[in-house]
Amino acid sequence: MSTDDAQSEDTHIDIADGVDHQVAMVMDLNKCIGCQTCTVACKTLWTEGGGRDYMYWNNVETKPGDGYPKDWEDSGGGWQSDEHSEREPGEIPAKERYGGDWEFNHSEIMYDGSDEPLRPQNVDPEWGPNWDEDEGAGEYPNSYYFYLPRICNHCTHPSCVEACPRQALYKREEDGIVLVDQERCRGYRYCVEGCPYKKVYYNAAKKKSEKCIFCYPRIEGEGPDDEVHATACAEECPPQLRLVGYLDDEDGPIYKLVEEYEVALPLHPEFETVPNVYYIPPYAPPQHSEDGESIQGVDRIPREYLEELFGDRVNQALDTIERHRDRTRRGEDSELMEILQDKNPAQQYRLEVFDDD
Amino acid sequence: MTEGCERTAPDRSWVGVAALVVLAVVGAAVLPTLSSARPANEVPVGDVGANATDPTAESWTAVPSVELALASAPSGLPEASNVSVREAQVRTATNGSHVFVRVSWPDATADRNASGLREFADAVAVQLPENESARPPIAMGGTSNRVNVWYWSGTGTTEELLAGGAGTTTSFERSAVDAQAVHEDGEWHVAFTREAEMAGNRTDLSGEQDVDVAVAVWNGSYDERAGRKSVSEWKYLAMGPGPQGPPYETILWTVAGLAILFATVVTIEGVRRTRGEAA
Ligand code: SF4
Ligand code: SF4
Repeated sequence: MSTDDAQSEDTHIDIADGVDHQVAMVMDLNKCIGCQTCTVACKTLWTEGGGRDYMYWNNVETKPGDGYPKDWEDSGGGWQSDEHSEREPGEIPAKERYGGDWEFNHSEIMYDGSDEPLRPQNVDPEWGPNWDEDEGAGEYPNSYYFYLPRICNHCTHPSCVEACPRQALYKREEDGIVLVDQERCRGYRYCVEGCPYKKVYYNAAKKKSEKCIFCYPRIEGEGPDDEVHATACAEECPPQLRLVGYLDDEDGPIYKLVEEYEVALPLHPEFETVPNVYYIPPYAPPQHSEDGESIQGVDRIPREYLEELFGDRVNQALDTIERHRDRTRRGEDSELMEILQDKNPAQQYRLEVFDDD
Repeated sequence: MTEGCERTAPDRSWVGVAALVVLAVVGAAVLPTLSSARPANEVPVGDVGANATDPTAESWTAVPSVELALASAPSGLPEASNVSVREAQVRTATNGSHVFVRVSWPDATADRNASGLREFADAVAVQLPENESARPPIAMGGTSNRVNVWYWSGTGTTEELLAGGAGTTTSFERSAVDAQAVHEDGEWHVAFTREAEMAGNRTDLSGEQDVDVAVAVWNGSYDERAGRKSVSEWKYLAMGPGPQGPPYETILWTVAGLAILFATVVTIEGVRRTRGEAA
């Protein structure tokens, strides 16, 4: 333990019953540039065509914003309390809330010399995923926005699993990945209703539900090169903001960020599914006055908004980060800053630590 | 025969005889029909000619229909008790080699698609015990007492399923059941057809015995699917050669009718003779 902020005495790892290890991911929201490379990597690998056109197992939305599917945060699902006995009713979003695929006049402009502006043809779109791209909130010069990449959280208490009357969804024993058994699924979509993150999708062509598989063939080394790989969304990310490993790998950075420093937080903990995807909350510069002076002590991103997303613990997390930034500014050591700055790339994807189990 | 007898008495006695004979004859004709005021849980099995695979086939009109009351199935699913169909008509028939079960129920919209994210298709299921002589738990059977389910969905698929409790339905690799459906005047009519005699995991319907039957219906546009459905109680298909079976019934009632008629005539004749002698 290198610093006083690490609270090893208090840590406990909440892993689902009957699960040996739990895969986990930490995403540092301070590094996301909204390039959607992760989205495209996932889409080309898993969800191209065949009833999957509208699905983004990985999506990146702008916050504040309506997200994808639109207003998913108000779509219900999850649990009523941390006792995980009563579920919260949820809804199946309408197709429009996942956005449309519009035809653009690319070829006219690129090849036929048209000087028309590039725009969707024959439709007058009113909304789509990332419609609110970069719109943000707040008043100039103190406006703000940030990106929020989202995948299935492979929750410790997955309400999608509980919602299915056929036990078609299950949490894999070896690593807690949540999967849909395609043989058992009969397309009832109770899982779609039941997931508060709306990360289960109905494939209308196959009449089955589908979702993020945490790239399990990659982490098992079942790809063409027989090598273990992190998830495609993580490996393809230009700023490499994702850590991939196991929550219960106590020597890994994920455990340290989540359990020791408590600076990596689940999104919407009030849904009570106990996600295993964690976020380093965005740490924006302070507000500026009209003449460009920093107004110390006034957050650019209102804490209330961050509390809405990450719960009350976001305050403590941001304070901890602040303290460690000060520490490094003073030239002192900070393990936390080293992890967040990715000073040890070998630690970023620790997927073979339990191979000898 | 009557001439020379007392004036009023013979007249009266002949009116009486005529009335009793009429009563006896009418009785013999009516009583068998009264007998088909069946036991409440019976679904009679009619006889159809060649086949009745088409739910609109003329042959169905001759098959007696039974109305089944439907109620929501007990289920932990959201909105499980919120179902829309309250009754279904069932007709069952056989032509010797095949058994036909036709289910009709009111549904204003024919939901034939599940290709929208929020779209569900209408559906109907006929549930039979895997083992004809043991009544399984009504909700999809039990682990040691499974059910055969004939399932038709508005998407056009017909499936034959085996289940041993809620959430355990498994498709037979190849369905032995066919179904045809029409939606007419706000009503679905779905006729299932299966070979009567079958063994293994499939309910034998060859007429060796009565067989339990239950029905479930889903209204797709009401978001009904899985355990959110309207179901009947267990009924039974009267296919066995029991005392209530059609041949026995007819013979018994004919004999009874004739006996009544005979007894009436003998009594009247006796009365008349006694009176005649007295006169
Ligand atoms: S995020 Fe949703 S789909 Fe993924 S495990 Fe949690 S409840 Fe299930
Ligand atoms: S690839 Fe990385 S930086 Fe780009 S959108 Fe995805 S998470 Fe953000």
